[in-house]
Amino acid sequence: MLREFCIILLLTVIGVAYTLFSGLSPLSRAEPKLEAGEIRLADARALNAIWVDAGGAKKFEERHIPEALLLDEEDWDAGLFELMNTWLIEPRPIIIYCESEGCGKSKRIAKRLRQSLPDAEIYSLKGGSAAWQQ
Amino acid sequence: MAAVNLEVRSMAYLMLIGRLTLSAAFILAALPKIQDPAAFAISVEGYHVVTANLAMWIALVLPWLELVAGFGLLIPQIKRGSNLIIALLLVVFIALHASAWARGLDINCGCFNAHESEKTPGYLWLILRNIGLLTACIFVLIRDWQHRVRREDTSTS
Repeated sequence: MLREFCIILLLTVIGVAYTLFSGLSPLSRAEPKLEAGEIRLADARALNAIWVDAGGAKKFEERHIPEALLLDEEDWDAGLFELMNTWLIEPRPIIIYCESEGCGKSKRIAKRLRQSLPDAEIYSLKGGSAAWQQ
Repeated sequence: MAAVNLEVRSMAYLMLIGRLTLSAAFILAALPKIQDPAAFAISVEGYHVVTANLAMWIALVLPWLELVAGFGLLIPQIKRGSNLIIALLLVVFIALHASAWARGLDINCGCFNAHESEKTPGYLWLILRNIGLLTACIFVLIRDWQHRVRREDTSTS
């Protein structure tokens, strides 16, 4: 059994070495690639945007970006009403964030919001609010 | 005698199906993550269990381990070791998903896809699927062990 583990380990190390030398390695963190509808924090800060928190009511109470509005999937109509009021007074880009880069909520809410507000400029924040805190 | 042969053959087919299913699952899971380890590192970080640096190393090593173990299930010389590694990985994955679910995290599973998904993670489905794979893994391990013991008994007697 030990011999089998050694063979498996050796093959894994060879594979890892291939990734490292082929340039695919995530160890040197390059600027993350943007997908359609995403925006980086540096670009978002340059806009006079409406910030929308997609992390849920509980997380919103603990911490949120200053002046951000809450848009919860579970209480969509109330959140949308407040957002629309803000946006109609002065139409500005809308940036939706959740807590981290791996969170898919901001993208889901952005997609749903584009259907409710087709004329609005809507982005999801790359890196989530974790990027803001850095 | 015929009934015993039928049972033995049925078990052999079941073991083969179990091994092929596990092998296919892990190979298919590994390939997209090997192609885009940076995106997989983001998925790993989303579980909030390890630091960003450790997540990057996990994103580098884990897909290759999955790939080697996936193929290893089909190679007689390393099938037992591969099976054991896959069983351990499945236990870890089940624990991670259960933990993420309990903490209310909105994660990208990173199971078969390196990138973020817009869909809500179906934790119950993820856990049940992994339990199914683990069951297949344990079945193959036990049958392999029984087969080995029978062969040893036959060779000594």
